[in-house]
Amino acid sequence: MAISESDVRHVALLARLALTDGQVSSLQTELNSILGHIDELQGLDLADVQPTAHALEVTNSMRPDVVKPCLSRELALRNAPEAEGGAFVIPAMAGAGEDV
Amino acid sequence: MAKDRLSEVLERYEAVIGLEIHTELTSLKSKMFCGCPVEFGGEPNTRVCPVCLGLPGALPVPNEAAVEATVLAGLAVNCDIALWSQFHRKQYFYPDMPKDYQISQYDLPFCSGGHLDVEVDGDAVFQRVDRDSEEEYTARIGITRIHLEEDTGKMIHVGGAEGRISGAEKSLVDFNRAGTPLMELVSEPDIRTPEEARRFAQKLRLIMLTLGVSDCSMEEGSMRVDGNISIRLRGEIELGTKSEIKNMNSFKALHDALAYEIVRQADLMDVGERVVQETRHWDVGAKRTSMLRSKEEAHDYRYFPEPDMVPFAFTEEWVESIAQRVPELPDAKRERFMGTWDLPKYDAVVLTSDLAMAGFFEAAVAQTGPARAKSVANTMINDFSAHLNAEGIGVDESPVKPSMLAELVVLVDDGTISGKQAKEVFSAMVKTGEAPAVIVEARNMRQVSDTSAIEAVVDAIIAANPDEVASYRGGKIGLVGWFVGQVMREMRGQGNPKVVNEVLRRKLG
Amino acid sequence: MIDLSVLSATEIRDGIAGKRFSAREVADAAFARVEALEPSIHAFNQLTPELAEAAADRVDAMVAAGDELPPLAGVPAAIKDNMNLVGTRTTCSSKILASYESVYDCTAVRRLLDAGALPVGKCNLDEFAFGSSTENSAFGVTHNPWDTDRVPGGSSGGSAAAVAAGMATVSLGSDTGGSIRQPGALTGTVAMKPTYGRVSRYGCVAFASSLDQIGPFAHNVRDAALVLNAIAGKDEMDATSVTETVPDFTATLNDGVKGLRVGIVRDMLELEGLDPGIKASVEAAAARYAALGAEVGDVDIPAARHGLSAYYIIGPAEASSNLARFDGIRYGYRVDDATDVLDLYMRSRAEGFGPESIRRIMLGTYALSAGYYDAYYGQAQKARTLIIEDFAKAFESYDVLLTPTSPEVAFKIGEKSTDPLAMYLSDVFTIPLNLAGLPGVSMPCGLSEGLPIGLQVIGRHFDEATMLRAAAALEADLALDMTPSMARGGLDG
Repeated sequence: MAISESDVRHVALLARLALTDGQVSSLQTELNSILGHIDELQGLDLADVQPTAHALEVTNSMRPDVVKPCLSRELALRNAPEAEGGAFVIPAMAGAGEDV
Repeated sequence: MAKDRLSEVLERYEAVIGLEIHTELTSLKSKMFCGCPVEFGGEPNTRVCPVCLGLPGALPVPNEAAVEATVLAGLAVNCDIALWSQFHRKQYFYPDMPKDYQISQYDLPFCSGGHLDVEVDGDAVFQRVDRDSEEEYTARIGITRIHLEEDTGKMIHVGGAEGRISGAEKSLVDFNRAGTPLMELVSEPDIRTPEEARRFAQKLRLIMLTLGVSDCSMEEGSMRVDGNISIRLRGEIELGTKSEIKNMNSFKALHDALAYEIVRQADLMDVGERVVQETRHWDVGAKRTSMLRSKEEAHDYRYFPEPDMVPFAFTEEWVESIAQRVPELPDAKRERFMGTWDLPKYDAVVLTSDLAMAGFFEAAVAQTGPARAKSVANTMINDFSAHLNAEGIGVDESPVKPSMLAELVVLVDDGTISGKQAKEVFSAMVKTGEAPAVIVEARNMRQVSDTSAIEAVVDAIIAANPDEVASYRGGKIGLVGWFVGQVMREMRGQGNPKVVNEVLRRKLG
Repeated sequence: MIDLSVLSATEIRDGIAGKRFSAREVADAAFARVEALEPSIHAFNQLTPELAEAAADRVDAMVAAGDELPPLAGVPAAIKDNMNLVGTRTTCSSKILASYESVYDCTAVRRLLDAGALPVGKCNLDEFAFGSSTENSAFGVTHNPWDTDRVPGGSSGGSAAAVAAGMATVSLGSDTGGSIRQPGALTGTVAMKPTYGRVSRYGCVAFASSLDQIGPFAHNVRDAALVLNAIAGKDEMDATSVTETVPDFTATLNDGVKGLRVGIVRDMLELEGLDPGIKASVEAAAARYAALGAEVGDVDIPAARHGLSAYYIIGPAEASSNLARFDGIRYGYRVDDATDVLDLYMRSRAEGFGPESIRRIMLGTYALSAGYYDAYYGQAQKARTLIIEDFAKAFESYDVLLTPTSPEVAFKIGEKSTDPLAMYLSDVFTIPLNLAGLPGVSMPCGLSEGLPIGLQVIGRHFDEATMLRAAAALEADLALDMTPSMARGGLDG
């Protein structure tokens, strides 16, 4: 499966990466080279094989419903690029892209 | 919206509605994947930790009680519980979502394939024009699935109108809510009218309250209802293009927004225009929906199994142990009220539509005895409900306690006070919070039912009013009321009206 | 001054306990070596002398009070800069986190320090652990102490080089596809990836959550076992950490290999592109095992040949998701002239991430995107199943398995930096273990043209003890001196 230039641009938008034309072009070449190798998997008949998400057969790892100490607000905001009144500040939402 | 217009549209078009209902598990102590407390409001970013802030290196660990609550909810609405399930990551960038993916469930939710029966009666029956009868009816609404996920943070948009995104210069992000356990229920598109949608949501809310998993506050957003709605000409099989409606923050808003949307879509189709697939926002002030975004920006959520967690493997025994914890649900409670105390359906429905009302009723009846259940129901549905409405308070906030209402019912029932006096006692009870017996005593309201005492007064009145006695005996039977008034005045209102009437009629011949 | 190039962790602890030297003197000796060697190595992104001295003072206070010392008391330790430690920056060698200050501790780091170790500093890595040479760092290349024109391997190249140069006695790295073991091989250190789930990942900035595992670098097997003792065990903050009992991994190190069934993974040894010197060295190691009384035989892991493909889908896919949070909202690099949130996301991320990170995010996003999931991610997960099954079969006949760690010895800086695929091949022997969740340790087994060769010993799930016993037996038998010449001696004149 070859990846086209428009695929690269679409994926870059999904991943929220503003790529230059030069990056788009070189990434297209590099990704196709990597995919060219990876595509060997397409040749395998794995129809009857179960997928593995985790190598170990561990299940039901949960925690009890117990409250623990929170971070102080000072620490919560320690690395904030911009903060105001205890909140993180971001610019206008107009282009957030996907609303929910 | 004129009911007539909706009614006219529904004559020609059938609506197909599915609901997505998010319920925060507010009764839990801690968040979905970390130990921060679950609470509403608070100073921004004071209930956060590395996990719910999505700090580099932090990992989620699922809250066992949230999983149990979801399975409990699934069992309460007749779902199958998956013996193998897991979380997935749903990926999209948004500033209120700390990790820029939401831990949710995808093809392996905890619960699937349930249903809920909703009863529709009264004026709303007309919305189902396909039904010939005007009788009340029951609609079975399928439940596709219930899954568990984490809530997002909250944003305040500064500089725009009314806190809306459009026109805002900047936004403030608070992650206190981020990571709150959130249960999402998706219904089948089995709902045909705005009223069925409302009843479905109301019933679901009552069930969640009964289970004790959430406070289900639509105002505070711990219960949020979105709707998918399309219409088609009656008789048509193929589904129309749907729109998704958001921001329906009350049951009335849910009903009105769906009703608006049905008419809006019909208006388009009537003039040959096409309904566009889009997400629309209900503006409760303007009473209309407006476009939030079009479906052109189709999402690609890139779901994949959450690698920070392992799958869930449940045994039948474990599911059964959760099933044992399902309490009596609203339908069963209503049936019990009708069966145990011989209450009419109307009374049972009113009393069981609110958990606190039902609890109050049961406590009061426990004191009066089952024979007076109907009297308790009457007093609650009339005086007590009117008092709650007037004060705008909940059952638990009233000064009137079950023992007091029970006492009042007994006082009337055994003839100590009259029904009319009871109203006075109730008013005094609301004001002072004093027990009915205390009020009756203090106001010397004890009703006189003693026949000989009443006979003495009646004799005196008859003796003092020979002309009226003659008129009565001459055929003016209506004068009996005047005599009753005279006797009651003499007795300062404390004569038992029934006995007074009886003695008067006998003595007057 | 104390010569840290010759002291083991146990010798340091016992020396302090016996009052032959103080923990403070150990710390001073470590930083003296840092001062002498770091300029030509660049193993560290940040040095933490204050933290080390405070830790040393606590150890010395215990000595003064007559308290029993914990197992790693006074042992200089370096930490890969993708693990959080309060009082340090955690940069992942990325511009996007260049000034990020940790506000909580990584569990493994906390446990290491609770065992008495002295934190020397935070070690350079390939940005977000994407790489096999430590050249993909926003803060410069780390040099191999054996030859400073060469790479130390990666991504935990700083952690490997710090130990190889004796600037730290032990260190922590993280291993997603070989990021501990391959630099271990290239720097002549003992480098271990424990079984997936053995060590908590909490606080280690995630690359690929289902593959990542923290593990130690050390000069010898025993020190590596001591570090594993300290960091292993269930952590309630990591749902994928397991409750499996943690034995004392040093307890059976001297039990020898008589009767142990040692399998050479033959089909891996026949891989095209494997340095013949490395192949010969691995064969020689196998022969030594036979001489020591082990039952040595050949075994194939045919599905492992699909490991690289599966890994370059699963790894980037999970990474693309794990790195979404670096969005300039709550922390990290943010462009200062964003017009709206989308613009902020797009440019902050494009400017903040280096080229290899962008490549992996793109690859992973593509592999998960609509229409491609089944062909890529789904297929890779199935290939993963085959690899797990092949290893399980091999372990029916053998107790440990042997492969080379890396197909080649340390390569020249810049040699592979223009060819991502060639770089990816560096991990061809190590990747299958991550996919299967198996433990593996790389240990020096010789030199090729003056550069260290790594042997990879693979154990069963949660049987690190047997794996380490096998490694310790060969280590004792070979008795190699793996101190690079620049790191010899006390360095104090």
